[in-house]
Amino acid sequence: MKIFLSHNEGIHNKDPAPHWLSQGISRVWTWKPCFIHPIIFLAMGDTESIIPAYDGEQHVIVAAQHIVKALAARKNLSNEMRKILADLDTHLSTMTKLTESEARWTSEVEDLLRCAQKKIINWQSNKSMIWDSGPQGVAEYLQEVDEVRRLTESLGSLLSSTSGKEKELLDLAHSVLQMAMARLEEELIHILARNHLSFEQICGTPAYSGVDEELAVSTEDDSVEEKSPRVSSGTESEESIVDLVRPDVISDIKSIARIMFASSYSQEFCEAFVSFWKDALDEFLVILGVDKLSIEDVMNMEWGRLYRRIRRWCRASKVIIRFFLASQKRLFDQVLGELGSPSLVCFIEASKVSMLRLLNFGEAVAIGPHLPERLSCFIDMYEVLASLLQDIDALFNEGDGCFIRNEFHELVTKLGNSVRATFAEFGNRVASDTSVTPFPKGGIHPLTKYVMNYINLLAEHGPTLNLLLERYGEDSDPVADADIFCPMADHLRSVTSMLETNLDRKSNLYRDGSLKHFFMMNNIHYMVQKVNDSELRGYYGDEWIRRHTGKFQQHATNYERATWSSVLALLRFDGKKGKAEVRCIKGFTVAFEEVYKYQTGWFVNDPRLREDLQISISQNVIHAYRTFIGLSTSINDKYIKYTTTELENYILDLFEGFPRSLR
Amino acid sequence: MPATDNQGSFLNRISIRRNQVVSMDGGHEQELEDLDLFQKHVADRFSDLFSQPPQQPSPDSSAESPAPDALLSISWLRKLLDAFLCCEAEFKAVLVMGRDPTQFSKPPLDRLIPDLLDRSVKALDICNAITHGVELVRNWQKLAQIAVFALQQQPIGEGQVRRAKKALNTMLTSMTLDDKESGHGKSTERTWSFGRRGGGAASASVNKDRTAGGHFRAFSLSFAKSWSAKQQIQAMSSNLVAPRVGEPTGLALPVYIMSTVLVFVMWALVAAVPCQERTGLATHFPVPRQSGWAQAVLGLQEKIGEEWKKKEKKGIAGVLDEMQRMEKAGLWLVEFAEAFQFPMESSKADEVAAQVAELADVCRRMEEGLVPLQLQVREVFHRIVRSRAEVLDVLDQVGKLTSPVPY
Repeated sequence: MKIFLSHNEGIHNKDPAPHWLSQGISRVWTWKPCFIHPIIFLAMGDTESIIPAYDGEQHVIVAAQHIVKALAARKNLSNEMRKILADLDTHLSTMTKLTESEARWTSEVEDLLRCAQKKIINWQSNKSMIWDSGPQGVAEYLQEVDEVRRLTESLGSLLSSTSGKEKELLDLAHSVLQMAMARLEEELIHILARNHLSFEQICGTPAYSGVDEELAVSTEDDSVEEKSPRVSSGTESEESIVDLVRPDVISDIKSIARIMFASSYSQEFCEAFVSFWKDALDEFLVILGVDKLSIEDVMNMEWGRLYRRIRRWCRASKVIIRFFLASQKRLFDQVLGELGSPSLVCFIEASKVSMLRLLNFGEAVAIGPHLPERLSCFIDMYEVLASLLQDIDALFNEGDGCFIRNEFHELVTKLGNSVRATFAEFGNRVASDTSVTPFPKGGIHPLTKYVMNYINLLAEHGPTLNLLLERYGEDSDPVADADIFCPMADHLRSVTSMLETNLDRKSNLYRDGSLKHFFMMNNIHYMVQKVNDSELRGYYGDEWIRRHTGKFQQHATNYERATWSSVLALLRFDGKKGKAEVRCIKGFTVAFEEVYKYQTGWFVNDPRLREDLQISISQNVIHAYRTFIGLSTSINDKYIKYTTTELENYILDLFEGFPRSLR
Repeated sequence: MPATDNQGSFLNRISIRRNQVVSMDGGHEQELEDLDLFQKHVADRFSDLFSQPPQQPSPDSSAESPAPDALLSISWLRKLLDAFLCCEAEFKAVLVMGRDPTQFSKPPLDRLIPDLLDRSVKALDICNAITHGVELVRNWQKLAQIAVFALQQQPIGEGQVRRAKKALNTMLTSMTLDDKESGHGKSTERTWSFGRRGGGAASASVNKDRTAGGHFRAFSLSFAKSWSAKQQIQAMSSNLVAPRVGEPTGLALPVYIMSTVLVFVMWALVAAVPCQERTGLATHFPVPRQSGWAQAVLGLQEKIGEEWKKKEKKGIAGVLDEMQRMEKAGLWLVEFAEAFQFPMESSKADEVAAQVAELADVCRRMEEGLVPLQLQVREVFHRIVRSRAEVLDVLDQVGKLTSPVPY
């Protein structure tokens, strides 16, 4: 009853509408909850049988009342019947009264609607945006729209029983509401367009530089300073979230969402909101340099260009997934979370196309040829995505998002396979590299340099490769004497042993036996040195280094023996006298000149190795030479072409890579 | 026959035959038999697709709903992709399984395999463009749903009509943009940029343009501007040459058949679903008339080609059955909305209700079918990737047998 009274009160207190509405919103608010149509009020009771009374039906009611009265006047009625007729009479009179209040109600609704329509149309013709007009205007507009919404609801709930007049009013209400909704949609886009953070602004946030290392490197000074307080507080996920729009407009966006949802315009809100962020993400990708490339483009791309795109892709994936999407998801939850709307569905819709773009570039690279030079890129891509899987699982864990999530998981597997296949291909190349001519100067073969530098780079990715190669090489025999065992070490050792085998094959191309050893010494020394001076040491271990040091030393010894033993044999003092002595010293001089002529053209790159070798040669040669001269009886200066000092100096010319001649 | 049955029986056949191949040492007769079976299965599958109940020739009485798997409907496309996946699996069995890898380096395969690989890369791009296109259709579906939601309210008034009109206009504009300009319209619609700072000039233009009737979702390009679905299809079909009759063809025939099937499926997808730059898409490509397996493909090609010609002439967005219906109902309702006056005559009400029901039906089918279609396109994508990798593996083995790779 209270409700009914207050409704009447509302009507009695009513001032002329325009004046009354302009008096202030507070009044409208207090009045509104009581604004219930009389019919609804009746429907709240147990009056199912009540037929609503309207203008045209007035006569019917009056006629019915007459009939009831006539019936009640009959004498042969049971008490029960009488009671029923009495009740009916009361109801009929109520209905007559209602019809009057009904008419008042209708005209009041009409006034309100017309007034709201005028205001809303006013805004419509106004060039400037409502949300630019300040909080007062916004609040008024929202009140007005809410008013229309409530009226629409009230009128709508009478659907089955409304008169022509009320139908017209309902139509007007819907029409005004639609106008307002269309306007709110525009306002929403305007607010978003005006208040979203630009790329530069986003890059300036500490959360961003936390994710984007490349940026952190370039602007090290400021970002580190800003970052430090953040690092100490909060978890990792909080760190990489930023407000994509200015925080103060969130409540504006929410107020638009709330009223559009309440008015059953949620589809339009979501459409506009999703579409905005879809475009934003698209543009963000463009700014980060992820172009729209077809797989064919990627397949045909020259490696240098592709390499740069892979770098950009790695960076963009990290920034987009860990930072942008995480932030976007929070925004969607803030705006749509409490509306019982599928915030997640909208989020996935907004991000799907861009995610597919990231995925497809990854796919394109993964299906490309498994060229060894791409290995580190494959590993980079694998590492980036593998590290993002947790974020992806959290972002896309339901509905349509599962598709995205599964695709990413699959891509990680594919990239892992590419890494393995490429590593295997690398091994193949090492094993199958063939030469037809001996490598000049006996120096370090390009294959050795290539392999050692290559595996040196791989050492950085040790943990990843260990993980990937483990699955791959499960059935391979562990190296029996290895002091370190892990899949990576196993694979690296097998690569270098393939290299050794290949080098051995290459060394057989030399006709000169000592050059063969010289070549092996050079190359194995290079391998040992590379292992020793890098992280590779951890994978090869001291035992390997010791064994291979022994190997190259053995080759050095073998070289010396092969070259010099025949030369020094000429100086063996075994009781020769006179002419025999002269022949010996002459023979030695010729042999030395011969060695000098060739071996000055041989090359040892490493100065220490060169020096060690020269010293060793020098010791043997000079010692034998001096002894021979000292012991000889018939050799005078005429036969001694070179002094020991001269010989010593000539030996220092060996292995410089510039053939010289003493004659 | 439902696609799943098809697949089941086919898989059984494959596994039985695979065992046979192993036990019988893969003789020449076995090979011929495999080939015959492959041809027969291709013929069967495409006959199934061809003999779908014909579309009801009902130009205006759209209340009559066409069969659920009418030619070029979403469910028909899904069957087409099923058929493709089955043919492809069988083809791979014929081509790769138990095969001596050196055959790949001898004629005719040495010449055909690179073409096959090239076509598969192009097909991958088309798959991606189609995924993108289906996403766009889903967006149109959402807009159509707004219209359905508005117009299903009773009584229909000015507000509902305007609401529906707004949504439908956005949908139809996006359809035309896609069709005529293949998405180049995008930049004309967006009045803000993420690159620029918020506010300022960018937002000012939002004000001015807001009378344009809201915010369209224009078609964004899948690839660089120069990429064209039409050219990809052209390139895929240009080197399709049937092995000469009477010549001992060996594996040339299955490679040719599978390539034709691939080109046909990709072509049908491009015609049906919005796709970057399709203007001038060929309406046919060479298919040998005399071969048994090709009859159904030819028949389908002719029908789809006709639909495409109609599309080009009338300027509709695509030949996907549901999309054509959506566009038609959408256009009708927009026209109705232009002339609408409250209250609606009751004679008109029935017509409107019929169109709304039609639109609702289309939306329902899209709701049910588009996501699975998208997943299936992705499956085709992954399948092509896998098969390509398998063929490359064989080539790799051949390479190792013949010449070592220079580094």
